[in-house]
Amino acid sequence: MAVGTPGSAPASGALRVAIIGNPNTGKTTLFNALTGLRQRVGNFAGVTVERVEGGFQMPDGRRITVVDLPGAYSLAATSPDERIALDVLRGHDGREPRPDVVLVVVDATHLGRNLFLASQVCELGLPVVVALNQVDAAAARGITVDVPALIHELGVPIVPTVASRGEGLDPLRRALVAAATLPAPTPRFALDESAETTAARYGWITDVIARTVRQRASASGSASDRIDAIALHRLGGPILFLVVMALVFQAVFSWATPVQDAIESGVLGVGHAIGQLVPEGDLRSLVVDGVFAGVGSVLVFLPQIALLFAFISVLEQSGYMARAAFLMDRLMRRVGLNGKSFIPMLSGYACAVPGIMATRTIEDPKDRLATILVVPLMSCSARLPVYTLLIGAFVPAMPLLPGLDLQGATMLAMYLLGTVAALGVAALFRRTLLRGPVRPMILELPPYRWPSPRSIAIIVWQRSVLFLRRAGTVILALSIVLWALATFPRTPVAPDAPPAVAQETQLANSALGRFGRAIEPAVAPLGYDWKIGVSILASFAAREVFVSTMGTIYGVGDAGESALADALRAERRPDGTAAYTPLIAVSLMVFYVFALMCMSTIAVTVREAGGGRIGWRWAAIQFAYMLALAYGAAWLVLVVGRAMGLG
Amino acid sequence: MTTGSSRELPVCTCPLVDSATGAEATVVAIACADRDACRLRVMGVYEGATVSVIDKKHCLLVDVRGTRLALGAELAEGITVLTRGIPAS
Ligand SMILES: Nc1nc2c(ncn2[C@@H]2O[C@H](COP(=O)(O)OP(=O)(O)OP(=O)(O)O)[C@@H](O)[C@H]2O)c(=O)[nH]1
Ligand SMILES: [Mg+2]
Repeated sequence: MAVGTPGSAPASGALRVAIIGNPNTGKTTLFNALTGLRQRVGNFAGVTVERVEGGFQMPDGRRITVVDLPGAYSLAATSPDERIALDVLRGHDGREPRPDVVLVVVDATHLGRNLFLASQVCELGLPVVVALNQVDAAAARGITVDVPALIHELGVPIVPTVASRGEGLDPLRRALVAAATLPAPTPRFALDESAETTAARYGWITDVIARTVRQRASASGSASDRIDAIALHRLGGPILFLVVMALVFQAVFSWATPVQDAIESGVLGVGHAIGQLVPEGDLRSLVVDGVFAGVGSVLVFLPQIALLFAFISVLEQSGYMARAAFLMDRLMRRVGLNGKSFIPMLSGYACAVPGIMATRTIEDPKDRLATILVVPLMSCSARLPVYTLLIGAFVPAMPLLPGLDLQGATMLAMYLLGTVAALGVAALFRRTLLRGPVRPMILELPPYRWPSPRSIAIIVWQRSVLFLRRAGTVILALSIVLWALATFPRTPVAPDAPPAVAQETQLANSALGRFGRAIEPAVAPLGYDWKIGVSILASFAAREVFVSTMGTIYGVGDAGESALADALRAERRPDGTAAYTPLIAVSLMVFYVFALMCMSTIAVTVREAGGGRIGWRWAAIQFAYMLALAYGAAWLVLVVGRAMGLG
Repeated sequence: MTTGSSRELPVCTCPLVDSATGAEATVVAIACADRDACRLRVMGVYEGATVSVIDKKHCLLVDVRGTRLALGAELAEGITVLTRGIPAS
């Protein structure tokens, strides 16, 4: 299966440059600086897991194509992401010839380790340019590299750079163009990775380092080590992790509310104003009840989504991801995986698609498959609108602890429920279909870094645009379709009937209403009415559609124009009791914790689980177990809740 | 298993898990599954490398040429090092 961005056929004369290097050295930062693109950057190994192509133009008009690649520790690929990088380097990619020049990015603060791959790449017979990156961080740690001496030792051009500040780019561009005509360096060692060759190569590197690198003796341990003394503490570490998570979810819930309220009244206001311009009738109903009530009800969650991505981005850029993996290793081993699998799971809090992609860093195929199967259980940003709507409508903001109220705690509980279930299901797979020994963890812990406000802003911007685009396409289209289904066919109603009753009768007899009542038996055991049933069904297109569908149904069925949360609270059964109780809200949230309702996730599972028949089989297993879990758990919540006398 | 001769600071070989926190150790043998051994070597834990244990938890936190590596305990069992500082018993 092809991976990554499909590369355009190289324009004749364009120089092809491939970027390679150890993980987390700044390859993507450099790629972004060279090409002006905005690929994801983060402070942990394995951020980039596919090839990405970009380009730039030299002052003389010459085009250079640059390919950013996943990181690798050596030429012997052990994980799928490393294989992608090395296939491009060796010309086994199948789509393109070998690159004209290899740009090896080395981290000046860890030169001893980085020179291993660099020296191997120098022996592949391709022209090489080395970017000595992060010289700023090296200087801060008292490390100075004698660049001319290092050029002499390696026999290739070396350009010092600070990719994060765009320093050294011009000399680097010139070196890349010039290198294409240089002879490839001569090999020093065999390219195998036997114990002897590795030791010999490292022996040579040790000598080179001794001749070219000077390190001022540092007085005390580094700041990173001091932070780790707390962050990785046996007891303090897990507590810190939980506190961080609790604060994040509380913040997502409460900080976003003022902006959310502003958007909500804005949407209602604009809908109302436009409604006045359109003559009374179906068109006005389409605009106000269909489009504004549907799309608008989802749009109001933009602030939450933006905040969630800002927090995840801080976690990714600070270096905490690897620490979380370290902390979780203990628990993950009981499950049959190791801590490394927790990094894709954490990415799943943002979105399952990059989370599943991130499993490419896992070496063992069974470990990887088990991780793929459970990543969608981690609550992603698309669940946020559902949780927020239901919590906002049915859970009181009762203070629990300083900085945490019942709403935030409920949100945290949903995320924890998904996480715990992911661990449980992984354990089940590792003991049945994917049996195998636990693989020990080898994980690099990068130094902590201050997240850059600019890259956080970029991530938040990109994800917000994506969210708005979804609202403007899938959700808009479905809102219109559902509005039509909820409006037609028309039922004649007695002219003297009160408007609320007339509209309710209309809705109940519409195509959607009839369909809803036909499927109602399927959701009735969970205590849901047909409106929820229809919304659940529609949300298999995308989870947010649950909210927009409820918005449309209540837009059409409601005489007044109130916020969706108020409409839900006010809904009554024929016997006059509340249709939606807090218990039903919790059961519904639990359903959404577990159900897999995302086309993109299914598609990426098919591809990453092996493609073709095998891929489809795993995707079907994933979909089926998640649906069963969702239904079973939602039912259990209802039954136990009722037995306890709640709702 | 004492192989050294210095009286105050005996030199001995032991698994990496047992080497003293903070003390430098030289890797003498790696007996792990092949793919793990390969991975360890290219990441700087090769026969002859100098490493030091920073912290021992459910996994080992090891300094390898200035990088911090987390190693599962069973890997650290399989890595034999030559180190000073553990009194010969
Ligand atoms: N101080 C400093 N930090 C840098 C520099 N270049 C990159 N970084 C940081 O290094 C970290 C890794 O950057 P990436 O560009 O994601 O590294 P990568 O090599 O693409 O990593 P993988 O895709 O995981 O292999 C990020 O936190 C960057 O902000 C630099 O020149 N100086
Ligand atoms: Mg990258």
